[in-house]
Parts: sequence; structure tokens; C-alpha cells
Amino acid sequence: MSTVSTKRLFVLFALVAILGVVAACAPAPTPSAPATPAPPAKETVVVKETVMVAGTPQVVEKVVTPTPVPPKVQDTFIFGAQGEPVCLDPAIITDGISGRVTNQIFEGLVKFDKDTTNVVPSLAEKWTTSDDGKTWTFTLRKGVKFHDGTDFNADAVVKNWDYWRNTKNPTHDAQIKAGQTFEYYEAQFGGFDDNSIITKVEAVDPTTVRFTLKEPQGPFLNNLAMFVFTFWSPTALEKAGTKSCQNPVGTGPYKFVEWKPNEQVSLTAFADYWDKANAPKMKNVVIRNIPNNSARLLALSAGEIHGMEGLEPRDVAAIQNNPKFKLILRPANTTGYVAFNYKVKEFNDPKVRQAFAQAINKDAIVKAFYGGTGMVAKEFQPPALWGYNKDIQDWAYDTAAAKKLLADAGFPNGISQVTFDGKTVPLEFWYMPVSRPYYPSPKDIATAIAADWAKAGINVSLQTVDWATYLDKRKNGQLPLYMLGWTGDNGDPDNFVCYFFCMDAKDTPITREGFVADKEVSDILKKAAVITTQADRAKLYQQAEKLIHDKVLRIFVAHNQPPLAFAANVEGYIANPTSTEFFNTVVVK
Amino acid sequence: MLRYFIKRVFTVLPVLIGVSMLVFGFLRLIPGDPATVMLGERATPENIARVREQLGLNKPIYEQYFIFLGNALRGDLGTSVLRQEPVTQEIVRRFPATIELTLGAILVALVVGIPAGIISAVRRGSWFDTVSMLIALTGVSMPIFWLGLMLVFFFAVSLHVLPTGGRLEASSNFEPITNLLLLDSLLRGDFGTFLQALRHLALPAIALGTIPMAIIARMTRSAMLEVLSQDYIRTAHAKGLKERTVVIRHALRNAWLPVITVIGLQVGRLLSGAILTETVFSWPGIGRWLVDAIYTRDYPIVQGVTLFIAIVFVGVNLTVDLLYAWADPRIKFE
Repeated sequence: MSTVSTKRLFVLFALVAILGVVAACAPAPTPSAPATPAPPAKETVVVKETVMVAGTPQVVEKVVTPTPVPPKVQDTFIFGAQGEPVCLDPAIITDGISGRVTNQIFEGLVKFDKDTTNVVPSLAEKWTTSDDGKTWTFTLRKGVKFHDGTDFNADAVVKNWDYWRNTKNPTHDAQIKAGQTFEYYEAQFGGFDDNSIITKVEAVDPTTVRFTLKEPQGPFLNNLAMFVFTFWSPTALEKAGTKSCQNPVGTGPYKFVEWKPNEQVSLTAFADYWDKANAPKMKNVVIRNIPNNSARLLALSAGEIHGMEGLEPRDVAAIQNNPKFKLILRPANTTGYVAFNYKVKEFNDPKVRQAFAQAINKDAIVKAFYGGTGMVAKEFQPPALWGYNKDIQDWAYDTAAAKKLLADAGFPNGISQVTFDGKTVPLEFWYMPVSRPYYPSPKDIATAIAADWAKAGINVSLQTVDWATYLDKRKNGQLPLYMLGWTGDNGDPDNFVCYFFCMDAKDTPITREGFVADKEVSDILKKAAVITTQADRAKLYQQAEKLIHDKVLRIFVAHNQPPLAFAANVEGYIANPTSTEFFNTVVVK
Repeated sequence: MLRYFIKRVFTVLPVLIGVSMLVFGFLRLIPGDPATVMLGERATPENIARVREQLGLNKPIYEQYFIFLGNALRGDLGTSVLRQEPVTQEIVRRFPATIELTLGAILVALVVGIPAGIISAVRRGSWFDTVSMLIALTGVSMPIFWLGLMLVFFFAVSLHVLPTGGRLEASSNFEPITNLLLLDSLLRGDFGTFLQALRHLALPAIALGTIPMAIIARMTRSAMLEVLSQDYIRTAHAKGLKERTVVIRHALRNAWLPVITVIGLQVGRLLSGAILTETVFSWPGIGRWLVDAIYTRDYPIVQGVTLFIAIVFVGVNLTVDLLYAWADPRIKFE
């Protein structure tokens, strides 16, 4: 009895299945998916031929042809991003993927100009600094409206600043309690409340805002230009409260429409945008989340997206040589390096460090692994930064010299073991498990470096672990010798050099990266951080870079100009070194 | 039947408790403090301490587990660390996408796999048998990742007949109801969206369905071959029955049993395959969400989703067991 109904059940099941697949397969002809696609079936296909083939269901091709290529909507710019935004409240986020979205919606007092980190006016028309560098007065633009129709004015600036700085501000407090942080505010301005370097922000009149600082801050304007310090409509912020991540309201050229998690964020042009000369050229912007690099490139090739980040180095040449596409290189704002952990006894000898540096063939590495978008690094700052020292002569690649240096340092037979935290251990070289703009393929690069070192008698074992653990171990000083890099936040040399080489007031070794402690370098950098004239600061940074190089405090390997790929009909995309460009100039022709 | 059912259901409980303990325990054994990861490199010790407090990471581990289990029984799987979303609610929102993908893949697997297996067995040694088993072997050995990219390259980039990924076109402003887009578009009477959703589903379903399809085809073939060599089949032939009647009514019915088991197991595997497929095809289901969460050490999501997948897996297997018992009367007395 039950067998009969079993059979019926299966018949029914099979029927449903067949129906489903007939429908599902209508546009896709070969359901059995052969490994090598058969040659026929090009665009000009067979409509008349109704061939009778017994048994095999491969005749369906005629259904394929009528289905047209999806209609191209030219009022929309679709950008393929590498991942999902974390949050769309600029004050809370630190990641570039979120930042690129909020950058279209929000604006700050100043911004980075085009493809540089030069600071130009945005919502502030102009500004003045007091002689002691402690008071900054900004004149605001008139007639600027938020997306919710409210006015942008000095009061809005003050309220936003209160939200970021004041831990007793109800919205700030609620965000913290909900698990959010204001990481960048804390990092760029020294902390919250009384710890903040900014002691007072006041509205002098509706179009004038005055900032009072505890002490002059060299990178102040560069900090203000970051995507983080951009303004919310205070009304909208109050309404959004802890839901601010999902409900962004600013003054930018595009306003927020919808965020479909793991799919896309949609924006639409803001009709009342103040800057008529730079009003958005496309009606809509869609930022799609396509996590896989190959899949993203295929989406670009299929015409489903107009532009993308995260192009693999190996695909750069193909994009460059194909007239259907356009390659844009983002000006370098990254540096990949090999860091010494100074808890390793041997690394405290400059001769050993120099041997490690001279044994690496940086030139070959850059040529092999950066797809033509990399450049050899000889110092920490990329050449685009104004603190860059172009006069530094890098250590030459010289295996024999490296061997000699090691011998002079007491290692005539090379180095395979080191004294780390008092114990003799085999020397491990750690590479990152993820690719980053500064190291597109860390494992390959690590292998090349290790091979170079081996020629000079430096024998390392390669190690890695998942990314979060990697960062954790590095922070706890558990990696003796490792690869990492830095991408600048605000285009200021301070953000590169001082962040890693400025010691605290007690001159304790820097735990952030390798417990380095060099007072000479640190003092110069600290001095540069409080001067406000750029020319004077530049000299100090160049001096510091020279010292860092001569002492081989770290080995800088490469800068990279991350490649972006676009359809040939996309114009006006200007890639900024900070990765947070504006989409209002983009046109899809 | 009822006794068997109750017995099976009870064996499932320890499995689920075991899974929840393993997931909970393993995640905490991995080095890397979630508070540090979440707050990033610039975090101050005070902030880290505060977040640990919020996440309950300061409590003893067994206490954390019981709190987790108690909440889970009430349907509360916690709140995500990075994006502050309630995990249960997010599973409800994202799972339909995975269901749609998995069902599509099963359909592909069954509709192609079973007939291919039957025909191969009946025409053993024929060119059809050779070719389809060769394809099946290739299918089993094929990495989903690569297959997915090849399908996209061929159908989306070269032929322009199907989209490369996603569930709907970027310009679509369709409002889902249940988030099963095929169903929702029909419910709303929006046939255009239905077709669009179907077109987006086709390639991921084929990519995900290929391995189970190949396994099912091979399993059906060998089960059929075994049955076809039995005496009663010879008798049926001797009685002068038509080939089709012998194959469908006599042989296939007995060959079903091992095939059902394999189908059941494959359904479970599809969930893990879905993780890769969802990444290649930018499919917004729970698989990709889980992978992202693992990278960011978002404990509540990883725990919640793993537990949820385990429940689904166990549920599917239970259903298969029951089906099996139903199909073969000898089993229920074991």
C-alpha cells in the first residue's frame, strides 16, 4: 500500500522537477554543462532549424536567441566593489568600502582635490589660522541644503562635532552602548572630551565656525578632509539614532535610496545640490558587492557593471590592451614592508638589518608580482606625498655584500636561528594570508624574498595564519619578522611616519610595530607634527626618512598604484589616493 | 512507524547539543580576540575592555554557553558584532536566497541525474553510457568555483544570454515578500521579475547542481544495474513485458532506495557547496554571510548560522530516514 503512494510521490516529484527545469533552463541551453563548451551557437543563431534528435535535449537553442542582452540603462553608473559596506555613518566607519559610499552622500568642510591629497574647500569657502596655530576660523558656504531639506550652517557643524567628540552626547552615548566606536575621531584628534586636541567648536554666526585647539596640529586640515569628518543633517541624525548606519543623510551630490545587504547600495542624484557646476552627471549610482575578483571582472566584461576595483595584477595587461576597457591607476598611497621585531636579539644589530635589506631583489619582485602597477619603495612615504625624500639612495641589491655584513656581525655561516624572547628558535618569516594593495600576492612575494635571502645565507621558514590572528600576533609582538603594509588615511606624512615611529611621552618602544625605539627619529617627527607650515614640516619628514633608511629600521619593499578597470564608455572617474573619490564627475556615455 | 519516528527524533537531540557545544567551543579556542578584531588596530585598551564586557566575553565560558543556549531555545541567536543586526532576523531574511539556490540545484541534479543514470544502466556499454558517465566523473571532480566561473564566462560574457551574478538586475526595485523571489514575483503577478529571477538563478543552480547531479547519476546507474541483473527481472522479460514496463515498474522501484539516501546526503552537501557558489555568483544567502562573519570573528553570526545549518542538515537527514522507512517496509522494525 505504501509503495504505491511512494511511487506516486516520486512521479509527482519528478513532474514538478521537470517543469521547474524546463522553465529554468529555457535561457540556458546545455543543462549538462560540458567542461569544454561546444563550438556552435554564436550570436547569429539558427531560428528555422527544428532538428529532431532522439533522446538528447540539446535542441533548445532557438529559445536562446530571442532573449536580448539586458537593456543598458545609461542613466545609472554601476560600480563593482570588493565587499560589503560595514555601515553608512561616516563617523563610525574606518573601511574604504563604506567610505566610498558615504563620500557620495556626505561632505565636510574641506576635501581632497581630484587625484591628490591636496586640501581644497568643500562646505567651507575659506579659512584662517591664528599665528600660534591654535585657532582655525572657517567661513561656510551659503545656501547648502541637506537631503532632508534642512539647512547646513554653523550650528550643524557644532552639533556634528558634539556627536563625535562628546561622550555625553545622547546619540554618541547610545552608539557606544550599541557597540559602535568613533575610531577615527579618537585616532586623528587624540581622544574624546578633554582628551581631544580640539577643545572648543563654536558657531560665531550662522556661516562662521571657530575651532580652538590645545596645541597646533600639523595635519589638521588633512584630517578634516577625511571622509570621516563629514556632516549629518542634525535632524536626521537625531531621528536615526543608533540606526544611523542604515539611514545616511548629508549634503552630498547623491542621496541614499536603499541598501540591500550583500547585494548593493543604490543612490540617486540630489536635485538641490549646492554645487551646480559639479552637479551629478548620472541620475543613479549603484555600488554592487561582488566579492570574488574574477567574478567581478566577468561582470565588467558582460557589461553588467561599468567599473570595478580589485583588478588582479595578472589581468592588468589584458584590460590595458583591450579597447573595450579602460585602466585607471590609483596614485600610490600604500607601502608594503618587512618589519623587524626588535625583541629578536639579532635584529638590534644594524649590520644584520642591512644584510637583510641588501639581500632582497626588490626590482625583480615588483616586476613579477605587481602587474606593472607597482614601484620599488626606498622609504616609507609614497612619492606622491610632500614629505617624500627623493634624494635617498636605496641599498643596492647585493648578495655578496649581504654575506659580508652577516660575517662582520658574527654570522659567517649565515642565519637560520635567532634569539627571540630569550629562546633560540628557528627564524620564521610571516606573510599575510590576505592580499592587500601593497602586497597583491603575499605568499608569492614572501617566497621570492625567502629565496633571495637564502642566497645570502639567511634561511627562514615561511609561516602564516588567518588574518585576524595575524594582526593579533603582530600586535602582541609574537611575529619575529613579518610582512605588512600601510595605506594612508589623510595624505599627510605624519600619518605614515609618525604613526609608526613616534614614541609616547615616556619614550617606550612602539608596540604597534616591532617594538622599535629610536629617539632621534621620534623627536624629529614629533616636532614636525606641531608645526603648521608645510615647507618646514616637509624638511623634517625628509630628514626622518633618511635616518629610517640609513639605520634600516624597517625594509620598505614596494608602493602600489591599485588598478581599477572601467568600460571604455565611462568618463570622468578620478581615482584619489585615499580611495574615496567622488562619483558626481562620472559619466557613462 | 510512529515509534520509529519518535526514536529517530530523539537521536537527533544529542547531535544538535553536540554541534552547539562544538561550534561554541571551537570558536573560542581560535586565537584572536573578537573585541580587538572588531575595533581594529587603533583600539584603546579601555574600548576593548568595554566591548568584551558587552559581548559577555568576561564571563566564564560555560556561563557564556548556557546563556547562548538559553537564548537560542527562545529563538534569539544574539546580535552581530560588526553591524549590530539581530542574527535570527537576518537568517530569516537571508535564508530564502539560499533555499532558492539549493532547490534550483536539486532540480538540476534530479532531472538530469536520474534519467541519465537509468538510461546508462539500461544501455550499458553504449556510447550514451560512456559519455554520460565520463561527464559524471568530470562533474564529481570539478571544483565548483572553477565551474561557476567557466559557466559565467561562456553564458554571460561570450553569449550574453544570462547574467553573471546577483539575484535581480541592479536597476530592479522589486519589493520582496518572503524573499523567495520566484514565489514573490508570482504572488505579485510580476512575470517580468519572475523571468529575471529565473535567469539569475540558472547558472548558480547549474554550478551547484553539477556535483550532486553526477553523484546521483552514478548512483542511479549502479543501483539499476544491480537490480537489472536479478532473477525477477529476467522473469519479467521472459513473461514478454515491454522493456519500458520492466525498467520503470519493476527495476526502478527497487533501485530507488539507495538513490534516496544519496539524494538526502547531497541536499546536506548542497548547503556547504552553496557557500562557494554564493561567493562566485554574488548570491546574498547565508553561506556568504557566514564566510564574511568568520573573517571578522563575528561570534554571534558564526554560532547562529552554524547551528541553524546543522538543524537544517539534521532535519533533511531525518526526513530522508523517514522516507526510506516508508519506502522499504523492512526498515521500520530495525
